[in-house]
Amino acid sequence: MPGEAPDSEPADASETGVRGIVDGEEHEVDPRSVTVARLVAMPTILAVAIVPLGGVTLAWALGGVPSYVYLPLLTGWNVLVGAALVWAYQWPELRHRHLRYRVDESGVRIRRGVLWRKVVSIPTSRVQHTDVSQGPVQRRFGLATLTVYTAGTEGASIGLEGLEQSVAERLRDHLLPDHEDHDGAEGPSPRSRER
Amino acid sequence: MTTPEVHRLHPLSWLFITGNTVKRLVIPAILVLFASSTNPLARYELLSLIAIGPALVVALFKQAIYSYRFAADELVIREGFLFRKERHIPYGRVHNVALVRNPFHRMLGVASARVETAAGGEPEAVMRVLSLAAVGELRRHALGKERAAALPAAADAEAPPELATVKEAASSGILLRVPAGELVRLGLISNRGFLVVAAFVGVVSQASWWELDWEAYYGAARDRAPEWSAWLFEPGSTTSLGLIGVGLLLLLFVVLLRVFSVAWHLTKYYGFVLARDDDDLRAEFGLLTRVSSLIPVHRIQLVTMSASLLHRWSGRAGIDVETAGAMEGSGEDGDQLAGMGSRSNRQWLAPIIAADRAPALIRAVIPEIDVEAVDWEPLDPRAVRRIFKKALLALGAVTGLVTAILALTPIPVSPWHALWLPALLAPLIWRGADGWVQNAGWALTDDAVFFRSGWLARRTSVVRFDKMQTVTMRESPLDRRNHMASVAVDTAGAGSEGHRIAIPYLDLEVARGIFERLYGETCGTEFNW
Repeated sequence: MPGEAPDSEPADASETGVRGIVDGEEHEVDPRSVTVARLVAMPTILAVAIVPLGGVTLAWALGGVPSYVYLPLLTGWNVLVGAALVWAYQWPELRHRHLRYRVDESGVRIRRGVLWRKVVSIPTSRVQHTDVSQGPVQRRFGLATLTVYTAGTEGASIGLEGLEQSVAERLRDHLLPDHEDHDGAEGPSPRSRER
Repeated sequence: MTTPEVHRLHPLSWLFITGNTVKRLVIPAILVLFASSTNPLARYELLSLIAIGPALVVALFKQAIYSYRFAADELVIREGFLFRKERHIPYGRVHNVALVRNPFHRMLGVASARVETAAGGEPEAVMRVLSLAAVGELRRHALGKERAAALPAAADAEAPPELATVKEAASSGILLRVPAGELVRLGLISNRGFLVVAAFVGVVSQASWWELDWEAYYGAARDRAPEWSAWLFEPGSTTSLGLIGVGLLLLLFVVLLRVFSVAWHLTKYYGFVLARDDDDLRAEFGLLTRVSSLIPVHRIQLVTMSASLLHRWSGRAGIDVETAGAMEGSGEDGDQLAGMGSRSNRQWLAPIIAADRAPALIRAVIPEIDVEAVDWEPLDPRAVRRIFKKALLALGAVTGLVTAILALTPIPVSPWHALWLPALLAPLIWRGADGWVQNAGWALTDDAVFFRSGWLARRTSVVRFDKMQTVTMRESPLDRRNHMASVAVDTAGAGSEGHRIAIPYLDLEVARGIFERLYGETCGTEFNW
């Protein structure tokens, strides 16, 4: 049942090792995830921006593009890239501020969205499997993404990024064991092996 | 456990495997032959026919390599030409062994069998082709002993028993038979004729019609036209007469559409029978390609009842269900098996049924779902104004565009006339928004969540709590300004189109209530595909 947490005292170190996480309280993800998102987005923008810029600059240097076209183009492009960089710096923080998760015995609830808000509830009984993944930048910071898979369509996989790795792993274990006994007959996909 | 015997495909399989490739090569080739009378270059497309040779070789290899065996609790299939592949399909996961038989299949006494699991995506295996006895054995193994026990013994290939199941089951519970007359009616009230028109346009476009000598045709038509229609060809024929001509052509077009539509429905759903056999539904239909499929009731995820304006005028409705499992008939099997409604894995429980009998049919399939006994709750009344505003915005943009076109191009119509657009359409939009909201509604019963929507064409969908996956509540910026939200339910095997349980324009508090209730109900049930 939502809001119902059998183990709601964070101080009480439960033997399952999910103290302070499976408590029916809303949590933020690790604030360092903001830095991670910035470190991923900003170089990407620069890398994407530099290619056409380099091309046009080369054409200008070779005399293919007159200066009265090149200079406004250069200015416009720089303004655009600058705006994109500011956005890439600001947005992760906004997004982080609006990202919350709540776990209790019944399931996970993820609340996100800056303008378009969305709350997704995933009952533990509907979790097919879970995995924890790490990008290269995330690994530097010891962060990870928890992905929860259901049998649904739109919500077939639901990601929660920016968790501290140990938290992500404990959540994975919390969501997992219930389903291992069913796995034989009810899993989502029969296996096909290639030889 | 004894070593399971290895089975192979029917010796004639190569014919059907090649047939699929050839069909795709030969039909364009025939079109090319028509087209090439005017366009000599088109003949080069005939070169593609060379591919038939290799296709035949590949088909023979495929047939030789493909094998399957029935292990204790799984079906093991070996296939693959260059990359060999072994698939293990546990019987517990098989939820349908569907058959497709076109006239060739029937002539040779074989069938294409398609093993569907709850996995979604492509069907787990398509076995093209098996003898009817082999199909019987496959069904017995894959669908379990108790379900197979309901079927007559499959030893006798003369009287294909698996295909007679629906008739056999006659005593045990035919739920619906759709007579040909109803299919004609369905053809008349549906728009499927456009499919045929699209195909026709395809053919015509192949024939490079723009290179034809239209003036010669016109001249020939004028010379041969009977006396009474001579006015159509008079150079100075008045506009009104011309309009009548165009009107007649349009009328002919509409009539043709309906004729095509009727023909399409008759061919596809001829002799539609739905029968219940314990936990399974069996549907059989088709005039040329006879489809026989099995739907385990507990795999039904979502039930939708739909009725267009014409349906409602004639007191009819359609009922379809979504099952978890085989989605797009992907790749080479798509076209052959498309007749099963496998795209987006929707299947008809009833392509057409008297509207007053529809709830009873749904009850007969899933007793917990009683559409008639539901207390509908309305959407928030503010929804009408929000929909209206949204549509007005779009209308404004269109009006602006039309005004600009009239002002900037030499069309001899005053730009002011663009204002007719909002003047005429705005009331209609208001009426539509109001109608939509009046008809939309949601309901929660002890077992299921209901949602209905639509103004002219209406649809009602139901999902049982144990088939729900995740529950989502959304607030758009406009929702937040109005203190509103929407709630949606995700199910397994939901197609990209089709009606969903997605209830918009709810008051925030109401939305929260539904959200929490649905979540609680989902937690309280165990999902079992």
